[in-house]
Amino acid sequence: MREEYRLLLPAVAVLALLVAVPTFYLFYTSFLNWFLRDPEGPTFGGLNNYIRLIQSGDFRISLVVTLIFSAASVSISLLIGLGLALLFSEKLRGRNIMRTLLVMPIVLPPVVVGFTWKFILSSEVGIIGAYFMRLIGLGDISLLGDPTLALASVIMADIWGKMPLPFLIFLAGIAAIPPIYYESAMIDGASRWHTFKSITLPHLHKPLIVALILRTIDAFNSFDVIFVMTKGGPGMATHTLPMLGWKVGFYYFDIGMASAIGVLLLLLVIAVSMPLVRRISR
Amino acid sequence: MKLSRRALLGALGGLIGGVAVGAAVGWTAKPEAPARTVTVTGAERTVTQYVTAPPREKAAITIIAFAQGFAWPELFGSDGTIETDLLKKFEEREAVDIAIEWGDEWAVREKVASDVTARVGKYDIVLVGSDGAVQAYGYAGYLEPLDEYFTKYPQEYFDQNDVYKSFLDANRIEGTLYALPYYSFGPGVIYRRDLFERYDAELPKDNWSTDDLEVALEKISEGLKRDGLTDTYALTMRAGPGEEPTLDLAGFIYAYAGYPAWFEGGAIWPSEIKQNKAKPILDSSDFEAGFRAFTDWVKRFGPPGASTHTWVDMMNLYAQGKAAVLMPSAINGYAALGITQDENVKRYTKFMLTPFGPGRKRINSYWTFSLGINKFSKNKEAAWRVLTYLTGRDSMEAFAERTMWPNVTMRSVLYSYPLIKKYGIEEIELNERSVVENPAIYFPYISELDLFMDKVGTMASDVVAGSKTVENALSELQKWATDLMSSRGYYT
Repeated sequence: MREEYRLLLPAVAVLALLVAVPTFYLFYTSFLNWFLRDPEGPTFGGLNNYIRLIQSGDFRISLVVTLIFSAASVSISLLIGLGLALLFSEKLRGRNIMRTLLVMPIVLPPVVVGFTWKFILSSEVGIIGAYFMRLIGLGDISLLGDPTLALASVIMADIWGKMPLPFLIFLAGIAAIPPIYYESAMIDGASRWHTFKSITLPHLHKPLIVALILRTIDAFNSFDVIFVMTKGGPGMATHTLPMLGWKVGFYYFDIGMASAIGVLLLLLVIAVSMPLVRRISR
Repeated sequence: MKLSRRALLGALGGLIGGVAVGAAVGWTAKPEAPARTVTVTGAERTVTQYVTAPPREKAAITIIAFAQGFAWPELFGSDGTIETDLLKKFEEREAVDIAIEWGDEWAVREKVASDVTARVGKYDIVLVGSDGAVQAYGYAGYLEPLDEYFTKYPQEYFDQNDVYKSFLDANRIEGTLYALPYYSFGPGVIYRRDLFERYDAELPKDNWSTDDLEVALEKISEGLKRDGLTDTYALTMRAGPGEEPTLDLAGFIYAYAGYPAWFEGGAIWPSEIKQNKAKPILDSSDFEAGFRAFTDWVKRFGPPGASTHTWVDMMNLYAQGKAAVLMPSAINGYAALGITQDENVKRYTKFMLTPFGPGRKRINSYWTFSLGINKFSKNKEAAWRVLTYLTGRDSMEAFAERTMWPNVTMRSVLYSYPLIKKYGIEEIELNERSVVENPAIYFPYISELDLFMDKVGTMASDVVAGSKTVENALSELQKWATDLMSSRGYYT
């Protein structure tokens, strides 16, 4: 065997054990009728779980919520991250302190982020949800109790917690652009918008795709913040696919169905992120 | 790396030798009871007699539970990690070595499910609630039936005759007992007398009806609005998604229909459902009446965020003095009393039995924090002794003294001096009546119960939030329930 392949073997073996084996097992269990608490044990069910899932109202609702949540969270966090990266690339007084403060949310565990926003937005005790809302005459509205506002609230909390990642990626991307391009543009009398469109944005093409891939995968898998803030409620207003998978697997103990949800979620994430990964490789 | 045959044989030989030496050491180290020689009169012979019985080997018992620091702090300390003197004494007395594993409720449920279904028996005593786990594990045969243990292994800790029958019934599956209750609650209304009087609402009384309560809530609600108290509400009930509201919602269904109106004919046991092919009736007028009343009251009289509220939010709202009525899981009101800083809440909080619904039954709500013996435990007898101690009189007394809640399982503890002194004999008698006069089983006792609890509760949350009408919600529930029961083979 060639030397380089032999040296790769330990890493591949570990990856196979930790990633490939559980993934294959996930696919396998998705074809089983397996209610964990049923003493009869699992039986082969074929596509039964997938058919039940697709026919289930809970799955359709969770899928729609996941798509809305991911699209909103990803696009807004990228826009804000880009805007802030552009701002803090300028020579501003105190920019280092501001950069540090902006990055802090990503250091916090998602559960802490969820609890923090839950209390801030609470219509009983929250500084925004209770006091500010009453101050502007909207005390009858609950930010976490109204279906639309609850979804907006969890999206906002997710953006707040995850925006530092695209911010850092864009900041690094902007720092890597040779200053000579900007100097030439300035000499030629280009406007700020023209400079941004023709120099900054093209150079941020790959960092943008990297940020998009990472944020997309993260948003599709988002669970902690939503669980802590609303538990998927009110009703199923913030009930995403990961929440459904958790509930079906760890509350209903329907292992077969939960595995099917996991497989579909995996395929969805691959379908969305693969085209982006290919663009980077070009 | 290639291993030579010699190296392999050497390693194997060493392993076998090590095991043999270890076994020999263990055998020789086994303690022997002291012995003496006795001479029998009339015939010279020597008899070896042990002075005392050989010491009992301690049985290792592992418990899994949630509520670390709240459950049994007198045994495990206020952080749940200490071996107190009381625990050590019990362990010596009963020759057991107790280890307890704590977790949050979800983690504990998962661990219990994994252990019993894998038949490992890692946990000898498992925590089960009467709102799904008792049913699921009882029917599956994962819990040890306990009735015969009372006669086979008499103990002095748990007196069945002292425990309120309904709390034991809550842990029976078709007559067989599968778990013993620790702290438990029945239905009740916790209310602020001062707010009722301020807004001229008729005070709760013994034989009051849901109509009476509704009128009172309307008056209080209007009065609060008139006074500009926009952060205070007539009623606090939980309507968060999931199983949370269903214990209480099921009580409304029971009160309005007059029976558990979930399946045709009011069937609640799997055998009844199968025998009568009793289909779900979740879109019937009987089920709808209670469902509508519950969701309607939460929307009209509760805070705007109630569609995400759990028992913690109910308790906190009442403790802050921002609710006039908390019901029907009154235990949360007593918990609020324990934490409130509001003088009016402390001074004016009262308890009353729940009102009668149109079905001539009181609104109900029951739950027991119960413990059962794992069917696959290797130390069932020892586990039984520990179980009866954890749920027995001493533990209940300690619970009552610590919390000052009247939500205890035993009559002797309910009528104990500390509780009577705090609440007065009248309120204690009302608490007793709430568990004696209301049945613990007011919803189906089937192994799919937790699925129903979750689905019905989430639908109620949807209705309270305004994203579904009652009709749509019940129509969806009916279809879901029929499909589920059919797929589980109830109608074949």
